[in-house]
Amino acid sequence: MAASLSPPAPPLTADRRDRYLQNLAQILRSAVPEDLALVDLRSRAAAWLQEQTFPSPRQEDWRFTDLSPLLALDLQPAPAVSAPDLPDWSDLGTPAVQLVLVNGHFCSTLSQLEGLPPGAIAGSLRDLLNQPDLAAHFLPRLAQAPGQQEVFTALNTLGFADGVGLWIPPHSQVERPIQILYLSYPTPTPGLAQPRSLVVVEAGSQLTLVEQYGGDGASSLQLTNGVTEIWLQASAQITHSRLQREGESTFHIGKTAVMQAADSQYSGTALHWGAQLNRHHWEIYQTGPQTTTHLHGLAALRGSQHSDTHSLVALGHPHGRVEQRHRTIVDDRAHSVFNGRIVVSQAAQFTNASQINRNLLLSDQARVDTKPQLEIVADNVKCAHGATVSQLQADEIFYLQSRGLSASQAQRLLVYAFAMEILHTIPITSLREVLRATLAELSD
Amino acid sequence: MSASVQSLVSQPYKYGFTTDIEADVIPRGLSEEVVRLISAKKNEPEFMLQFRLKAYRRWLTMAEPVWPNVTYPPIDYQSIIYYSAPKVQPQKLGSLEEVDPTLLETFEKLGIPLTEQKRLANVAVDAIFDSVSIATTYKEKLAESGVIFCPISEAVQEHPELVEKYLGSVVPIGDNYFAALNSAVFSDGSFVYIPKDTQCPMDLSTYFRINNGESGQFERTLIVAESGSSVTYLEGCTAPMYDSNQLHAAVVELVALDHATINYSTVQNWFAGDENGKGGIYNFVTKRGLCAGDHAKISWTQVETGSAITWKYPSCVLVGNHSVGEFYSVALTNNYQQADTGTKMVHVGKHTRSTIISKGISAAHSKNSYRGLVKMGPKAEGARNYSQCDSMLIGDRSSANTFPYIQVQNSTAQVEHEASTSKIGEDQLFYFAQRGISPEDAVSMIISGFCRDVFNKLPMEFAAEADKLLALKLENTVG
Amino acid sequence: MITPNSDLILSVNNLHASVDGVEILKGLNLEVRAGEIHAIMGLNGSGKSTFSKVLAGHPDYQVTDGEVRFKGEDILEMAPHDRATAGIFLAFQYPLEIPGVSNRDFLRVAYNAHRKARSQEELDVFDFDDLVEEKLGVVKMEATFLDRSVNEGFSGGEKKRNEILQMALLEPTLAILDETDSGLDIDALKTVAQGVNQLTGPDNAVILITHYQRLLNYIVPDYVHVMANGQIITTGDQTLAQELEARGYEGLLQQHQLEVTA
Repeated sequence: MAASLSPPAPPLTADRRDRYLQNLAQILRSAVPEDLALVDLRSRAAAWLQEQTFPSPRQEDWRFTDLSPLLALDLQPAPAVSAPDLPDWSDLGTPAVQLVLVNGHFCSTLSQLEGLPPGAIAGSLRDLLNQPDLAAHFLPRLAQAPGQQEVFTALNTLGFADGVGLWIPPHSQVERPIQILYLSYPTPTPGLAQPRSLVVVEAGSQLTLVEQYGGDGASSLQLTNGVTEIWLQASAQITHSRLQREGESTFHIGKTAVMQAADSQYSGTALHWGAQLNRHHWEIYQTGPQTTTHLHGLAALRGSQHSDTHSLVALGHPHGRVEQRHRTIVDDRAHSVFNGRIVVSQAAQFTNASQINRNLLLSDQARVDTKPQLEIVADNVKCAHGATVSQLQADEIFYLQSRGLSASQAQRLLVYAFAMEILHTIPITSLREVLRATLAELSD
Repeated sequence: MSASVQSLVSQPYKYGFTTDIEADVIPRGLSEEVVRLISAKKNEPEFMLQFRLKAYRRWLTMAEPVWPNVTYPPIDYQSIIYYSAPKVQPQKLGSLEEVDPTLLETFEKLGIPLTEQKRLANVAVDAIFDSVSIATTYKEKLAESGVIFCPISEAVQEHPELVEKYLGSVVPIGDNYFAALNSAVFSDGSFVYIPKDTQCPMDLSTYFRINNGESGQFERTLIVAESGSSVTYLEGCTAPMYDSNQLHAAVVELVALDHATINYSTVQNWFAGDENGKGGIYNFVTKRGLCAGDHAKISWTQVETGSAITWKYPSCVLVGNHSVGEFYSVALTNNYQQADTGTKMVHVGKHTRSTIISKGISAAHSKNSYRGLVKMGPKAEGARNYSQCDSMLIGDRSSANTFPYIQVQNSTAQVEHEASTSKIGEDQLFYFAQRGISPEDAVSMIISGFCRDVFNKLPMEFAAEADKLLALKLENTVG
Repeated sequence: MITPNSDLILSVNNLHASVDGVEILKGLNLEVRAGEIHAIMGLNGSGKSTFSKVLAGHPDYQVTDGEVRFKGEDILEMAPHDRATAGIFLAFQYPLEIPGVSNRDFLRVAYNAHRKARSQEELDVFDFDDLVEEKLGVVKMEATFLDRSVNEGFSGGEKKRNEILQMALLEPTLAILDETDSGLDIDALKTVAQGVNQLTGPDNAVILITHYQRLLNYIVPDYVHVMANGQIITTGDQTLAQELEARGYEGLLQQHQLEVTA
């Protein structure tokens, strides 16, 4: 097994990767805003990064996602943009609180904070951290979720210039969805945007959160490396949609880390539409008993797009419930990677976990690599996982044809149905409609 | 309660005795000289020496794999004895009268009688003791149908053209660290050749015994099934109990040509170490079958109950169109045993099919991981795989892990993987008890029900042995 | 059927039992004679199910005081499977699924364990098949039912009928039916009730544990006991169940000056 599981010799020497990473860390560190020094956090990230090398397919976690093309880019922190426009897809239809970041910098002119529930706090993370009374809600949790020791998360911690801070007080029902838009605008040199968001939902509160990543339509060659940390306190509930619709030349790397206290519920949907290369780390850490976690993922890929989801659900307390569905639709020469880990430690008795990964291949050259993983050290648990890879079923297409649909109509309908099972989990009608239209284009 | 269920799965190892016999042992350690010495002791032709040397040099450049989900202290490869053979050896193998009676007794004690009167009907046995084959039964009878079944050291002498053609053709010398080591130092093993259109008239079997406490065992098995032929092959393993760990790094290569079928079954019961994890065999084995021809079929069935550490992935490379690969496995780990085992199904040809059924049972502090690869190559049109991996946990200190790797590069291929985890818990046992069934009987019913899909695939004699073996491991133990 | 001088099958005196250190049964007394049908009713949490599990010897429950005699013998030190072969049968509220073990094998091994305990010869596969197929009629089940794994993928009604089939086969002296009516539609309830009625006779006894009076329309009890707070607080006949249905537990509990705990 060793031989064929180990990847071919790397085209680039480890030295070059080391240098690239250290150089990037240097550039980021020197660009940190003075009023956001965060010396402890940033120094810790820098020290850890010094021992690391830039990821290569020789590392198990990066076997199927080759970041070598990034090594050719002379990345510089992307600058703020003075008077940007909102893209037309950003509208949620219903009036909602909206926080906008452009190239990783908070944009107050595009942000709309009216309608926040009483006592809630939202705004530029940089501003919030500079107000001692408000910072108290954020600082103790910033970069405190597990999983910090990952190169891109550490780079973000080391160099982020701004992001969104959102705090929902205890026992509040937030009626309207809150949206965070991360926009990428073209930059003179290849730009690196590193937004950092921190969302805290206090005990017994409920929130609908939408995060969208995207460009203005124009192709700009750059890397988005976003990190969002979500803290759910006891009995808190969040419905979270994360939509990645970056321009086709963008590299997108993202981390969503969710901390779930006792009795909390997290329901997340992640859509991967855009970017030439997409990698999403989706990590859920249970910090108390009886949590419920729903993860829904959908990647729709074409051309030579590459999308990789690495999810982790770490259960360490009794009576946890996890349901994960991840689906991919892969056309042309696109490549989908899924690595889903569910770790049930000894204390997590009575866990009930299921994970299903389904992959639909639409072309001969499309490629799927999937690895659903269950790691279980508790005996009183019910866990199951499954994975399938297939093309559309000939008899289903035939059945639809026999009812008068053309072959391509039949295919579109079936692909659409395959995707809708995930899209259904997005709780906002207007957003679902927009996505439905986008999907129709994709499946043509 | 775990204590009571736990005690159900622990029972003394009954093959742990040592045979006191004078052995021809070379000094411990590995070097080019040792490789040459092993080759010289076996009076090998030049191509074999070159094969070994090439492998040795390759091995020097390689590193031990770190990805398996097992942990053990570093192995000192210079402290291992690479060749140990009973001193009084028959001049000609096959004449049992000349075999040391102590050895015959040893095998009899293990339930493998080799003498004419007592030998198993319809199963030909090659018995391997430490580094050498000591007897092969029914050779003449097999020869009548053109079947060659002999120690590989003999095949090197008698059929060098076959050995040269196929040795290393499925598992290249540099395939992995342990395969390279084996290629350099392997001492003996079995060789099977089934000629064209021949159904092997009886089941073939090799029984491996490690006796020497400081020697490693590096056997090599090569089975070639010509087109239209078929064979069923069984393998059994035991070792005495020592406090130290012994290394067993075997390589098995299977080649099936057009329409040929090979069924390969293993019941592995190497010494697993004691209840504190002391001692036991490190079982680092490379097994791979090549379905070279169209409609070829290779089926692996394994029941793994022994060894301190198992690292083993019997695999099928499905090159021929319409060829079929199967893997049926039961792996039981107890105490501090660690198993990282599974299979690889590499689909190259069109309409190739593979089935994986894996049942892992973990008790006490043991660690049981399924690791499997299903790869659909770009030309594997219409290929299909179905995998099912079930785990059963006994007690809350054991772990069960599933690492399936699925790689698909052809849109017409279809892959399905399912996995589940269940347990034997107090409530299940109470339900049985309330119907009058004792906990011992309940556990054995649950386990044999859990393993049924795999046991059904074993040849009859072996199925009974496997059932007995699991039952033994689960005996006597309610607290 | 009450016959005053029939044999005493079960006698429970001042039974106290706890789980994880929490006391659930707090001095329970009960006598059951051959030929009798007893119903135990009560709210969730009153200790009904605990009582059934304690009688069958579930290892999670510790008896802290009192005495349980079955046919005159103290059973508290007996292993669960020995109590079963001695003649105590518990129909589970939630019968367990046992994947991989066929119903037929399970029933045969259980049946033979009972025969062995009575020093009778075990039945071979063929004789057993004849016997079990005859018993299938009691619960109106198809023979294909025997070749499925024990309770795996069974509907709620099938699981309960499987429990009654086991009861028919094992012919217990004392059958305890723990919420056997829960989750059953009316047809399944009738089938189950008919099965139970068919199996009761002058030499054995039944304890029905139930939340609702519904089952008692089909199986007529000789005694109805109401449990609350780990004790039997009142005993009557069929009319007590009807009263309970009409007035609810609260009315009854108030009458006994007990708090509604669940």
